[in-house]
Amino acid sequence: MIRRYVLAAALLLPATLIVAVPDLLYHRSPTAVDLADALRPPSGAHWFGTDQLGRDVLARVLHGAAPSWSLGLGATVFALAGGILLGLLAALAGRVADHLLLRATDLLLSLPPLLLALLAVTVLGTGRTNVMLAVAIAFIPVYARMVRSEVLAVRRSGYVEAAVGLGVPRVVLALRHVVPNTLGPLSVLGTIGFGSAILYGSGLSFLGLGARPPAPEWGAMLSEGRSFLASAWWVGVFPGLAITVSVLAVTVLGRQFRVHLTGRENR
Amino acid sequence: MNAVARAAKAVAGGIGVVWGAATLAFFALHLVPGDTADILMGTQALTSPQVHRRITAELGLDEPLWSQYLRFLGHLMHGDLGRSYQLRQPVWTLLGQNAWPTVSLGLAALVLALVVGTASAIATAGRRPAWRAAASAWELTAVSTPSFWLGILLLTVFSFRLHWFPVAGRNGITALVLPAGTLGLPLAGTIAQVVRESLETTLHQPFMTTARARGLGGMALRLRHALRHGASSLLTLTGLLFGSIVGGAVLVENVFGRPGLGSLTVSAVTNKDMPVVTGLVLVSATAFVLVSGVVALLQPRVDPRLRQRVSA
Amino acid sequence: MRYRNARRLAGLSLALGILATACSATASPTGEEATPVSGGTLTVALATQPGCMDSQVSQQGVTNTINRNVLDSLVSQDGSGGYHPWLAASWDISPDLTRYTFHLRHDVTFTDGTAFDAEAVKTNFARIVAPATRSQFAAGLLGPYAGTDVVDRYTVAVRFTKPFAPFLAAAATPNLGFYSPKALAERGGELCGGGPAAVGTGPFTFTSFGKGQGAVLTRNPAYRWAPATAAHPGPAYLDEIDFRFLPEESVRVGTLTSGQVDVALAVPPSNIATLRDTPSVRILQRDVPGSGYNLYLNTAIAPLDDQRVRNAVQRATDLDADVRTVFFGQYNRAWSPLSPSTVGYDKAAEHSWPFDPGMADHLLDSAGWTGRDGAGYRTRNGVRLTIDWPALPADYTTNGNATLAQAVQADLKQVGIELTRTPYDIGTYLRKIHAGQLAAADAGWSATDPDLLRLFFNSADDPAHGGQNVTRFDDPELDAWTSAAAATLDPARRSDLYRKVQARVLELGLVVPLYTPSTVVGTGSRVQGIGFDAAAQPAFFDAWVAG
Repeated sequence: MIRRYVLAAALLLPATLIVAVPDLLYHRSPTAVDLADALRPPSGAHWFGTDQLGRDVLARVLHGAAPSWSLGLGATVFALAGGILLGLLAALAGRVADHLLLRATDLLLSLPPLLLALLAVTVLGTGRTNVMLAVAIAFIPVYARMVRSEVLAVRRSGYVEAAVGLGVPRVVLALRHVVPNTLGPLSVLGTIGFGSAILYGSGLSFLGLGARPPAPEWGAMLSEGRSFLASAWWVGVFPGLAITVSVLAVTVLGRQFRVHLTGRENR
Repeated sequence: MNAVARAAKAVAGGIGVVWGAATLAFFALHLVPGDTADILMGTQALTSPQVHRRITAELGLDEPLWSQYLRFLGHLMHGDLGRSYQLRQPVWTLLGQNAWPTVSLGLAALVLALVVGTASAIATAGRRPAWRAAASAWELTAVSTPSFWLGILLLTVFSFRLHWFPVAGRNGITALVLPAGTLGLPLAGTIAQVVRESLETTLHQPFMTTARARGLGGMALRLRHALRHGASSLLTLTGLLFGSIVGGAVLVENVFGRPGLGSLTVSAVTNKDMPVVTGLVLVSATAFVLVSGVVALLQPRVDPRLRQRVSA
Repeated sequence: MRYRNARRLAGLSLALGILATACSATASPTGEEATPVSGGTLTVALATQPGCMDSQVSQQGVTNTINRNVLDSLVSQDGSGGYHPWLAASWDISPDLTRYTFHLRHDVTFTDGTAFDAEAVKTNFARIVAPATRSQFAAGLLGPYAGTDVVDRYTVAVRFTKPFAPFLAAAATPNLGFYSPKALAERGGELCGGGPAAVGTGPFTFTSFGKGQGAVLTRNPAYRWAPATAAHPGPAYLDEIDFRFLPEESVRVGTLTSGQVDVALAVPPSNIATLRDTPSVRILQRDVPGSGYNLYLNTAIAPLDDQRVRNAVQRATDLDADVRTVFFGQYNRAWSPLSPSTVGYDKAAEHSWPFDPGMADHLLDSAGWTGRDGAGYRTRNGVRLTIDWPALPADYTTNGNATLAQAVQADLKQVGIELTRTPYDIGTYLRKIHAGQLAAADAGWSATDPDLLRLFFNSADDPAHGGQNVTRFDDPELDAWTSAAAATLDPARRSDLYRKVQARVLELGLVVPLYTPSTVVGTGSRVQGIGFDAAAQPAFFDAWVAG
């Protein structure tokens, strides 16, 4: 088990470094245009080749990490915050509120997340922050449901019932006992959500609703590169790989979390 | 509470969800910036301001929002979804034309995902670590790859290079293989993981030892339980599968140039085509409500924990 | 069904003057002398899913590509601006260009069996201008339309409130093509959905249109009124044309090279060179007449209110290199707001404003933009020299155009101009453009008549009033020249006026012409006889398939 954490960490640590300091090892500009050097295949000079305007693909992939990751992270944090708030309200605020909120999440769940995200991004307008918010909105109902059921489970457990018997106020109960207990499962869900958020972000970019050039962003790069697949595969394949590897690493980490928390270990 | 009352309550709840979804879509679209008549006429319109005003009036867009909403609800009660602003056809006609391509794509993807996912789980559950690692690797990669990207890769290899499957067209079932694969493989990955896990849990239950003692072969046992777990995991994953298939259809239909509700959605939302968007939302919400209703009915019948008591 | 890409190519393929299908297909562009055979189905991959299939309503080029085979027009236009009889055997134009009288052929019937006559012309034009039709484009083509008079059964007069020289060009487009009045009365409301409701006099009938399944056209065996611009008389060769919609570029190319379709339209520039070397594929290419693809500058918004800054933008843009790289050497950079294949194109514009960063620097210095900030951009009184060229949503532009903008951005940075690209949703974009609030706007427009220049540079044609003039430059000379040219049919006089317009808008820096788009069609080797009409749209009337 430790080995897998090490593996995931081995993948994530350099990735985090790249997100924080994209220039650490590789010092090319992601936006410098050099038309004389357009669409060069991978070489010593450009490890991942160059794109249609002669920009270095590796530099763009490295610099694209931050926007892509922050989209995933931001959307997950927002969705978790919204989900926790709604879920807690539903579970703790009494039957009427619970019923209403349940119906509200039912309503949102009845729409596919991509449709919700599409609607949200059309209302909010394109751009990185708005795409992040749109993806977050699409995920909120899933988290809210999850939090609610976790909260109900915790509330039914003996010690909380005992606390209620002792007359501890609801809010205090929620903050001191219920919330910490739901954090574990949520962190698992969060890691999975992080990956999904990156995928949704790239999907929106593919539909032309994501980040705008020239800023490097994986989804947009992949979307641009798909037209050159036959003639210059490196323009699309590397950002595509970057997405897959990031989502993969975080998903593996999330699974390990879960194994750890549920105490169930698959050999 | 008797069965009739329960059913009535479920129906009322379902109608509530559908009504709420339509209302949400109605108001969300009104928040989309820009003038509907402008968007309708496009970037290269040669229309005078008079024509513009007339369009706005004809579509009733100059009325106050609440009266537009009441009119919308009134039409909805009569089953009238209106006409598309952009395509100028009745929304029911558009939905009718586009429903089957999406439903057949979704069903094909679902079947493929179930077969591939369950097979992968059966073949590897409780086996040697190397097998499981290999299975996990493909499953996780499938889950972690953007579907439009997967679609383009599959197309390049299987259609343009190997000429095995056509991209699209009236070639019947063969034209469905690649899109269904694109949509189904990530789902297969998810299903495989869920089924394998519950299968492995089951394989260590005491009743399995009993079953083996009774002389049931390994493979037969695996199959029987895998099928049961496949069905049950399908049910617990309903919401996720529904969202992934309908949402994924948007991307897949765009890549493959397939007709369908998915490709209708993007253009309708971005072009503020109110009647189409509300129609799509209604259809999606209704489908979701129906599917969840059926699942709620089936769940107790299929849930392995209920069956286990019997077989143990 | 999708119309996500609905307007992606609209700028290129919309036609103020799309030509008859049949036109100019005379010489097989492939140069082969084989004898055409009748029969067979042609499968065509289109890049855009049409929204509304009614040519009298839609502004989409793809609608015209399909409908040209179903709808005939009064006249047909050849590649050099000449007009030929089609449904009209002859015509007279009043000296003041306000009344066009057409003498119609007597032997033309719609495919529902009804006769084509003066009433049919009147019914169709009345439908186009009726507000209830909500015509996006055809109504604009009719310009200062006053009405249509039925003189006798086969003579019809179209009246205008002002002299209207571009009418013949407009009359040659499928947008002013004719639906059967009987069908209009019975099923007019269904025309946007295409299919059998659309009844014309053309060489094909519209058999079916399943959204996304594509459009199927079947030969009209009774057709015998092909215009003189067609390569053959009588019915079309093909039994059937099967249009499919494949918006994804790589998919469209892949289906062509793997033989899944016979013809692919809008072949992406990145694939053209490779496909030319592919033995099983032939590439046909034709420059689109009209305004090409240009960047228009708003003279009312600082810093573009200064002519020196506008001229500096022109000179600082290395278009030769940018266009060659972005479009893989397949498209030509532009010199004039009219594309070279347009009547009235001024050859003198060529090389009149070459890439000259030194001159751009000098112009900016003299305009007072002498400071530099930390990012290397010029400043004046502490303000950075920034120009915003808002980006259209992806549905309304192409990948290539978006990439070209990034190249221009890099060019301008070299002389210290910051070019930003604010992304707007389409609603906000249109609101701002109507209010004259966009500093720069890109547009492409295909047309066969240079009257287009009026649309872009006459001060009366601002976007709020149904025009395209986003420059907000009020110039009596430009107004006078473009108006005078619309009121004469004298080629020498028109050409002189349009030459002056082109020179003046370039000198004033109202426009940065970017490149000349071209229609690129890929065909399989068994396909013969595909031509281009006057608007460079592919024409299928003379097409046939071997074996």
